[in-house]
Amino acid sequence: MTSPSERADRLVSKIVIRGRIEDIWRELTKQGEAQAAVFNAWLHAQTLAPGARLQMRTADGRYAIVIGEVLDFDPPRRFAHSFRFTQYDDAPCTVVYELRPVAAGVEVSLTVENLPVGTRTAKSMTSGATTILSTLKAVIEDGRPGFGSRLMYWIMDRMTFVLPKRCRSEAWPM
Amino acid sequence: MTETELDALFLALANATRRQILDIVLESPGCTAGFVADHFDISRIAILKHLNTLEEAGLLISQKQGRERLLYMNPVPLQLVQERWSRQYAEFWASRLTRLKYTIETAARQDRRKEKHDESQ
Repeated sequence: MTSPSERADRLVSKIVIRGRIEDIWRELTKQGEAQAAVFNAWLHAQTLAPGARLQMRTADGRYAIVIGEVLDFDPPRRFAHSFRFTQYDDAPCTVVYELRPVAAGVEVSLTVENLPVGTRTAKSMTSGATTILSTLKAVIEDGRPGFGSRLMYWIMDRMTFVLPKRCRSEAWPM
Repeated sequence: MTETELDALFLALANATRRQILDIVLESPGCTAGFVADHFDISRIAILKHLNTLEEAGLLISQKQGRERLLYMNPVPLQLVQERWSRQYAEFWASRLTRLKYTIETAARQDRRKEKHDESQ
């Protein structure tokens, strides 16, 4: 039997969203526009199939914030990819989105596996997962992110200059 | 969140044992019901009832792994509650920030106009 501390490298969050599973799936996988639920990042992928590289970039495309590889892509149920912040030297983790129809709508679970415990990545993922799910709910149910998220995106768009050079997209070829 | 969901959430939180259970699970993600029960002097059945209440409120997630059910805390419902009642304060500060931005930009424009005017004199 494994001890609790050995399972601390996993983060699980869930939410029920009143909306269509296809719309939720689209929000999490769309390319060519900002993903309002995922920090307004733009998803760039060679193709959305296992083995393909992907990145989450800023709106101007100049910075790659996250790099990874598609691990599973099973529309509209499961999307898994590896995940590493370009800003940190932390080990990559795995992000898994799972969608399941329930009576009240669609249950969306976001699981982070192999979380590098005690790192800045772990800290960001812990708060980020909650933000992603609550924003996703607002986007689907209200048509746009909540006011706090919109304010955060407005500030983030104007603060990209604080990102280190190592995050520039040219440093991370697809 | 619907009123029913909010009722379930606040009911779950309105109990010291359940709040303590959340602390334990938050501290030890992936722990089992048995691990939680070891922290209390009440019956395992009572603990299981508390766990069910927390799970129904969306505050706990249990995942089956082999013969065990592993427990994780789900902070999302608390985030939704926080967003619901903090929005008005966020808007207040946003309006203050926007006003500051316009004040600074207007002052900068006036300075530029004055400089141009002085140069042309």
